[in-house]
Order: sequence, then C-alpha cells, then structure tokens
Amino acid sequence: MQIFQKIYPFSAIVGQEKLKKALILNVINPAIGGVLIRGEKGTAKSTAVRSLAGLLPEIPSVMGCSFSCDPQNPLEWCSRCRSLRQPLPVVFKRIPVVTLPLNATEDRVVGSIDFEKAIQRGERLFYPGVLAKAHRGILYIDEVNLLDDYIADLILDVAASGINRVEREGISFSHPSRFILVGTMNPEEGDIRPQLLDRFGLCVEVAGERDLERRVELMNLREEFDSDPEGFLKRFEEESRSLAWSILAAREFLPRVKVADYIRKFIADLCLENNVAGHRADIVMEQAAKALAALNRRSHVTIEDIREVAPMVLKHRRREAAPPSPPPPRPSEDDRNEKPSSPELQRENEEKPFQPPNNQPETASTKPEAQPEPENNETGSEQERITYEQVLERVFEIGETFKVRKISAPKDRVIRRGSGRRSRTRTAQKQGRYVRSSLKGDGSDIAIDATLRAAAPYQIRRRGEATLAVHLTSQDIRHKIREKRVGNFLLFVVDASGSMGAEGRMAAAKGAIMSLLLDAYQKRDRVAMVSFRRNEAEVRLPPTSSVELAARLLRELPIGGRTPLSAGLMRAYEVVRTVLLKDPSSKPIVIVITDGKANVSIDRSKKPVEEAIFIARRFTLDERIYPIVVDTEKRGIVQFGLARKLAEVMEAPYFRIEDLRAENLVKIIKEASQ
Amino acid sequence: MSCESLYPFVAIVGQEKMKRALIFNIINPTLSGVLIRGEKGTGKSTAVRALAHILPKIEVVKDCPFNLPDGDPQGVCADCPRTECSREVMGGIKPEKVWREIRVVELPVGATEDRVVGTLDLEYALKKGEKRIEPGLLASAHRGILYVDEVNLLDDHVVDVLLDSAAMGVNTIEREGISFSHPARFTLVGTMNPEEGELRPQLLDRFGLCVHVEGLKEAESRVTVMERRIAFDEDPESFCKAWEEESKALVERIERARKLYPEVIVPRNLLFDIASFCLDVGVDGHRADIIMLKTAKTIAAFEGRMEVLPKDIEEAAELVLPHRIRKQPFIDVVEDIRVIKPA
Repeated sequence: MQIFQKIYPFSAIVGQEKLKKALILNVINPAIGGVLIRGEKGTAKSTAVRSLAGLLPEIPSVMGCSFSCDPQNPLEWCSRCRSLRQPLPVVFKRIPVVTLPLNATEDRVVGSIDFEKAIQRGERLFYPGVLAKAHRGILYIDEVNLLDDYIADLILDVAASGINRVEREGISFSHPSRFILVGTMNPEEGDIRPQLLDRFGLCVEVAGERDLERRVELMNLREEFDSDPEGFLKRFEEESRSLAWSILAAREFLPRVKVADYIRKFIADLCLENNVAGHRADIVMEQAAKALAALNRRSHVTIEDIREVAPMVLKHRRREAAPPSPPPPRPSEDDRNEKPSSPELQRENEEKPFQPPNNQPETASTKPEAQPEPENNETGSEQERITYEQVLERVFEIGETFKVRKISAPKDRVIRRGSGRRSRTRTAQKQGRYVRSSLKGDGSDIAIDATLRAAAPYQIRRRGEATLAVHLTSQDIRHKIREKRVGNFLLFVVDASGSMGAEGRMAAAKGAIMSLLLDAYQKRDRVAMVSFRRNEAEVRLPPTSSVELAARLLRELPIGGRTPLSAGLMRAYEVVRTVLLKDPSSKPIVIVITDGKANVSIDRSKKPVEEAIFIARRFTLDERIYPIVVDTEKRGIVQFGLARKLAEVMEAPYFRIEDLRAENLVKIIKEASQ
Repeated sequence: MSCESLYPFVAIVGQEKMKRALIFNIINPTLSGVLIRGEKGTGKSTAVRALAHILPKIEVVKDCPFNLPDGDPQGVCADCPRTECSREVMGGIKPEKVWREIRVVELPVGATEDRVVGTLDLEYALKKGEKRIEPGLLASAHRGILYVDEVNLLDDHVVDVLLDSAAMGVNTIEREGISFSHPARFTLVGTMNPEEGELRPQLLDRFGLCVHVEGLKEAESRVTVMERRIAFDEDPESFCKAWEEESKALVERIERARKLYPEVIVPRNLLFDIASFCLDVGVDGHRADIIMLKTAKTIAAFEGRMEVLPKDIEEAAELVLPHRIRKQPFIDVVEDIRVIKPA
C-alpha cells in the first residue's frame, strides 16, 4: 500500500536497543507471545512497530485462504482448508502487521456474515475480521490501555485458545488465530488490566535518549527523512535488507536450539524468586532465550541469554510478596533491574520497598513527614490540644501521593449520561463507542450494519416490487449497544480546621486527596470540593471536570480554626442534591476527610458532634449517594474514633488515611462491601 | 483567495506570536499543528478561520474524498466510494488532477466518532445492498488543517481517535462492517480556554507548537481592533479589498519560505543547543527536539535566511517547549518559557 511505504525505517531508529531486540525476538519465535511497550511520549514506540512490517520474512500459506493457514500444519486449518482437496496450493506471503484501532466494533474484530454476498446470493458466508487477518502475524494495538474492555475480552479469549469461534448471525465458523500481540501504552493514561498484561510475553520500558550526541543524530535523521523519504529509505535499504536476512536465518535456525536441564532449572529459580503467577513466565523466558540464541547462531542457550531476556520477561510479572497486589509499574527502577547478574541480585531488588510510581508532580513529592512551616511552629503542631482561635491560617504542602485502589460505585445497568472512565455503563445518548448490537432498543439508534447482516440472508426470498435493494422487516432491526466509561462525580469534603494541622495530618490528607485526584484524572471524573473551617463551610470548587483546577485549589487550601463538621456535611449534601437533580442517574461518591472532632454547630443550642451525626444520617436516605469516610486521626493511646462513628451513621466504608494506599485498600473495600 | 465573509488574517491586530505560529505551520506542515490557549475573545478562532485567505495550493485528484495527490490502485482507490474515478485508476488511467487551496476542516466538539473516522455508507447499503465506506472528517482533513475549537471539551473517545491517527498519519477503520485504511496526515490546530479544563498530556504533545494569547494591553491597539472590526462588519467586501495587497504579500512570502526551507542549514553547534535545551527543561521523548529543529528552520526560511541563527532557536523554544514541560497530569502548563530557561 502506498500509504505504508513511507515509514521511517526500523534500522534507522537511534537507540531503543531493548525495544528493537524484543520485537526481533518475537518475529524469530512467535511462541514468545508479544511485547508490551511502555513509555513516555515521543520515543519511537509506534514507529518501531510499524516499521517492523518492512523487515518481516515471507511465510508459506494456503493459496486463497483468508486466514493464511499454514500448509505444513493441518491440525490448525480453518474449516475451509479442511474441506478442500489435498494437496493445497501454496503461496508465500509476508507476515502481516494488523492494526486494531481503538474504535473497532465487535463484528470487525471477530468477523461476521458477509452481507453483500448474502444479499446477492442468499448464502451465509463468513467475512473475516481482524483476528483472522492477524493469524500468524502481528496484532498491533496502539494505546492498548485505552482499549474497550469488551473488545479486550474478545482478544484475550482468542489469544488464550488460538482459535476464533464465531457463532453469530446464523454463522457458525471457526478458524485459527494465533498472533503476536504487540501493544504500546503510556502509563500515565492509566494502567492495563492484569489479565491482558500477562498475555504480553515481554515488556520493555522505553525512555528518551539522554546522550546529547545521539539526540542530535536522531534529530538529523528524522529531518532528513521528512524532507526526502525516498532517498532516506534508499540509504538504509542495505541495512534493512541485512537485518531482514538475519531474522529469516534465525527463524530457520530456531528448531536446532537446545535448552539444557541446568538452564531450565535456572529459569525456574528465577521465576520463583520473582514470585510470578503461573507458568507463563517460565515458558516465555525459555522461548525468548531460544530466539536470542538463534539470532546469535548458537545451538545452545546460555546463562547469558537468560540474563538478557529475563528483565523483559519479568518486568510486568514480578509481584510483591503479598499475592493480591497487581504488578506495579516500575518506571523508577531502571538499570539495576535491567541487568540482574545473578539470582541474588534479583532477590535484592525484590526486597526493595514498594516505590510509588514516579508519576506524581514534583510539587507533591514532599514526604508525609513534612512538618508545618517553621514560623507556625509556636502554634504547637505536636500538641494534641490546640486553642483553635489562635491558630493562624496555614497552607500545607501536599504530602506524598500514591496509587490508590479502585473506588467505584457498584456496577449496574442503568443507562446514564456522561463521559469518563471510572464506571462502565450503557449510554442512551447516541454517543460513546459503538461496540456491538442487540435486538432490544427503541428504534432511535439503529445499528444499520447489524440490521443489514440480519436481513441479508432473506433477501432472495423477499425480493419483490420495492424500490430499495434491501428489504427490511421489523425483526431485522438491530440497535447499537454503545458503551463508555462514565466518570463518576467525586465530592471531596475536606476538614480544614486547626486540628488537621497537627502532626502533618493535613499534608497526609492533601497527599491522599491528590492521589485520588490523579486517579480521578485517569478515569475522567468530575470533581467538586467543599471545605469547612472556622465557623463555616464553603464550596471551594463547584462541580467541574477540571481536575487540574481542583489540584491547584488543593495546593492553596488554607487551614485553621474550629471544626464546623455539621456545616460541612450540610454543604456537601446540598452540592450532591444539585448534582442529582441535574443528572438523576449519576452516582456521586462523597469522600469525607476529617478527624470527626466537630466543635461548632450550626444551631448553637445543639451539641456539634450530635448535630453532625444527625446531618450525616441524611446521606443514607438517598441510595444513589455513595459516601466514604477517611479518618485522619492518628493511631494513638487517646483515640476518639469520631470519624468511625460518622462512617457507621453514614453507612459508609471507613478508611484511615494510611489505608488508602494501594496495598491495603483492597482488603478494606472487601470488608466494607460485605 | 475568495473573500467571502472572513475577516482577513493580515488585518488581525497584534497577537504576533499566534500569527507566526500559524504561518510556520503553513510553511511546514510537518510541524504538526498549533495549540492556541487563551481567554475568550482574543481572536483565536478568527485567526484560524482567516487562514483560509493565505493558504497555499496543493495538487489533488479531482473530487477525491481522501485528498490523494495521485491515484493509488494498490491501496485506497481499490475500495473508494467514488466509483467512476476509482474504476479509471484501477484500469490504469491517470486520474484528473486539480490545484486547489489547502482546506481547513472543522471538527465540532459534539462530533460523533463515526463521523470523525468514517463509517458505513447507509444510503448506499440500503439502496444497493453493497457496503461502501463513507469517509469521515479525518479523510477530508488529509493534507490540510483539522481545526478543533474548544479542543479540551472534546469527548474522550474522539480524542483517542485523533491521537491514533495523528500518531502515524493513517486512519484505520474496523467498524460497522467496514475495514479500510487511508492516509490522514493533517495539521492539528486547536483552541482552548484553560479555565475550562486541561488537555491530556498525550494530546498536548501532538500539537507541535503552543501559544498563549491574551487580550491586548495598550489602549491604542484595542481601539484599532474596534475600528477594524466595525469597518469589517459594515462592509466586509471593501474591507477585504483594502487588505488584499497585504494578504497577497504574505502569501508570496509563505510561498518563498516553502521553497527555501529544504535549503536551510543548521550549524552543528546549534543542534547541540537544541538537544541540551530540551534535556535541561526535561521533556518526554524526542518530539520536542525534532519539532524545535523544524521550527527553527522554518523561522529562518520565513525570514528569508539560509542559515539558522541562535535567535531562531530561542523563538522556536518559546513555541515548542511550554506545553511539553508539563510532563505529567497536574503540572501546570508553563506560559512563558523564559521563566524556566537555564541562564
């Protein structure tokens, strides 16, 4: 295709050796099962994958087969090849690189009935989808972490079995679909599901080049390519050809590579020590090492080979000692993990304490121990008892941020409006990603392609006097099922009273809110913030989708004064009420961050704590509201446990601020939901 | 260069940085666009729409929905919905070509995904029982300018689509029974008001340049703005005519710069300046370096020089770096690069 001709050549990519190696190993030995490329923007991730197509060797396949069946492997033939007479004619085809766009619909992923043929001839023929095209080739998904869950499930399912079974629209068909899954992702846009993660044989992290010389070289090459693509390609033609040739040679050499028993044992030890789940890591590591040996034309796998491939195999599979936590992204660990020279070193790495992903803003990197500013020290941050009126306004730095566990309202099937990524929902608007079709619907959002497919086989019978080529009846009508992730509405109710200033609580609380905001950013939530201090509560931030604005306001949030908890809750309730009035199907999550030590009431005749509890009960009246209480009280000998009481009244999950961390929250959410 | 009812680009008062950034993108489409950030009523949209006056011409196949420069029998033309033309191409006949101005295609904020990427041609499918692609906005924007007003309010999944095709210049459709790829290389021009929410860093990075505009500060130029606007509203035709000379001069200057661009050389030490600049301020990846080099060359070409000077690099840095220093979510976009520039 003309449009693909002018792709920057693979051999001209400066640096990114690991990325290139990982891709080449996969081409040599497809059993490795793919690569996930993680890394920052503008680091030739996509370029490398797309340009790989130019280096791929040709493989024999059955002539006329849309699934590129392997003539040598009758066990994996599609239904059509099985029915044909032997011997089958053979053609040589280049290994395909098939792009799966993020907006692909189900029918094109798995394949569907060919409605053209069905209408013309009344035959039910299968129209192959992306999974068919990708058989024996590379399935490439750019921004794989943004892929729709439903489509991801389909791909996982086929990747696991190697067979795509289609039972739909009156078609029953199965064909082999083994592909190398190559994905790129930018971790700051959100993480990828663990099941999908495990499907990728290897994982490489890419980063920009730090070396000045090479940056300059890169710039020059790119500019040269852009101004004269043809000449540039010609210049690198020789290099590309020799690389393609050595890949082909390695593919042929691969079956001769042997793995000794002691090597196998070494692999097993390595995987055990890294606490990987299942056996895929072991298998992938062996296959990758074999490919590497084949590339170097060695018939035996050496320890050196294992050392080179191990980091790529283990990077996304290594787990903390506690089994339930998913593999954390580790952009902050670099060279030491890349070259484990021995199992001992591996162990040492593993014992390193969990490092939060290095994606928090610099301003937020202050540790939670961050003490209040010195000039305010006389207000007694160490003391538990503070004369509130004396406390000056202070602004605390944002404490350490961390990755938060998933907080989402229980899943449901209510159709609602909105845009975001937190909770999956059906959408009734004609927006959102059209993923598949269904018989149910009110006729306003017709899936015309599915309707045509449904009607197609009957066209020959229905052909009559009408003017249109296609005769539709009401039972043919299919409706679009659109899905999009709806961001929730998060309301932060922040205690900004003087008592929050003690022992760096506010810094920790800000850190926690910031973490939740980062999470909210990835999930495209709408946020609002109510803070209360002195004698009143104010809406610091009206509902907005600008999480940035929330972060800025948070940074500037001053604290000091007494704790009008009841006023804060009242205000929060009002905000939520308005949101619910505007969008009755939304499910606002209210996050109350306080130590619960209310000491100002709205109605002076009432006791502050009792009044707060009275108001808190209102939150239970509307079941759409999902409250969460985060307690900022430090664990100590004297504990009032007022926030816990608040949580009980609100029927809300209760967290301590330190619990919000990824490792602990799973457990607590489970407890809360039981 | 039809006048229609568009305010002429050259008549915009002030906002030099924004105007230059737009002009640079016209001279060199590989700069991949500009993001214009600023408050309401600062002439953002006016400037982008007014570009229509000064756009150069390109050669395209007549009425080609994909704006191809030539027939492509191996690729796009095989499944093209324009039957007569594609039949000719498939039959080995060279299609008829015309010269026309680059298009500014507007992507409305409420656009649905299928309209953006393209979808099944409904009418055709029902009438003929055959499937055929109905090209979307990305096809019309190929080799032209894709303009998104209020880009920060764009629906999330539409942003994903934009990212996808902006990355590689190819739009792949696998939906609604259609399987199709076509080239989609466009200059992405977006305007936004930062008060209404920020852009995702990834999308930010796709904009080659970024300028911040604000209302003019001197009373005198504000008066000029009012005067010109009133004059334009009263009699657009004669207003345009009054500025025609200047428009023409700019078009010619752009044309000269386009021709000169391939010959502009960058001294090696300046290349190192670019690289260390980018390293010092801490940007992700290499896009900043590459765009900065291109911008500096474009500036030199626009000024009619064959060699890049240090001041070109400085100007380029101001356009290229501000939105890239914001590497992560929540770090504010730097509005003035000089603040962080290493001494």
